[in-house]
Amino acid sequence: MNTDIPWDLIAPLIVIWLILAVVGLISLSRTESTRGPKWLWVVIIVCGNILGSVLYFVVGRKDVS
Amino acid sequence: MKQFGLFFRKEMLEMGRSYRWLWVPLVFLMLGVMQPIVTRFMPEILKAAGNMPKGMTIMMEMPSGAEVLAQTLGQYNAIGILILVLSLMTMISGERQSGVSQMIFSKPVSFVSYAAAKWMSMISLITASFGLGYAGAWYYTVQMIGPVDTAAAVKAALFYLLWMWFAGSLTLLFSSLMNPAAGIAFVSLGAALLLSLAYGMLPRYMAWSPGALPQISAKVLLQGSGGTGTMGALLITILFMIIFFVGAVYMTQRKRARF
Repeated sequence: MNTDIPWDLIAPLIVIWLILAVVGLISLSRTESTRGPKWLWVVIIVCGNILGSVLYFVVGRKDVS
Repeated sequence: MKQFGLFFRKEMLEMGRSYRWLWVPLVFLMLGVMQPIVTRFMPEILKAAGNMPKGMTIMMEMPSGAEVLAQTLGQYNAIGILILVLSLMTMISGERQSGVSQMIFSKPVSFVSYAAAKWMSMISLITASFGLGYAGAWYYTVQMIGPVDTAAAVKAALFYLLWMWFAGSLTLLFSSLMNPAAGIAFVSLGAALLLSLAYGMLPRYMAWSPGALPQISAKVLLQGSGGTGTMGALLITILFMIIFFVGAVYMTQRKRARF
């Protein structure tokens, strides 16, 4: 199947996903503990598309205060 | 006023540290950009999905720019409000549980400036996120689908922004009322959803309800005016936001020491 994928249009979405995933992974490497095992969050962020990163930011992080 | 500035800066810092200034605007931008793209390529997507019987042709008219923008607002109503509530739910309750608020309130600080700083930072986060997302949606819609009337688009955005502010105030009120984050998210989301559902079912009796605002902004886009009840809904929403704010101030004061 040869459908032309308009990469120039989808590029912004990929960039957004990359930013979220990279920042999520950086913050994950810096924190001492998360809710649930760390390796699991790595898998979720890498495989879970944008939703995975958002999930990590919402429930994964333990807010240090 | 000095206290307010201090608290406001603290809130901003806190939102930055918890990455909320990063992911909330980005998710809104993504939601906004996605709808025009998906709409534009719907025929191709359906073709590629492939389980269409042979010979069947779908006549699909490309929707107008205003329609796509209105659909984007619909996306915000479903997922945007969820993101918003999730990012704001622990704003007051989190500090109460971690003991930060006990520390703050052991000094003579005013509850009003404390809550007002929270409220203002909530408003700025929502405004920036929604502004970014809507701008993205608008740009993509104009580029890919068709022109949108500028005045209508701005007006619709403002009505919608007010609805998001309302949802944010609601979340803040519940955050001051109770502690469990899941409970706050559930109740605030439920209330927002119920309000817009109630308007959908009883548009005549709920014409002035805040839940009418999403529909009003869609109407502004599609028909050029929000219809009767716009002014009423506007005033009632602002009134409720003030009530929620006063309630949040009162509850922070009352529950400052209790867990």
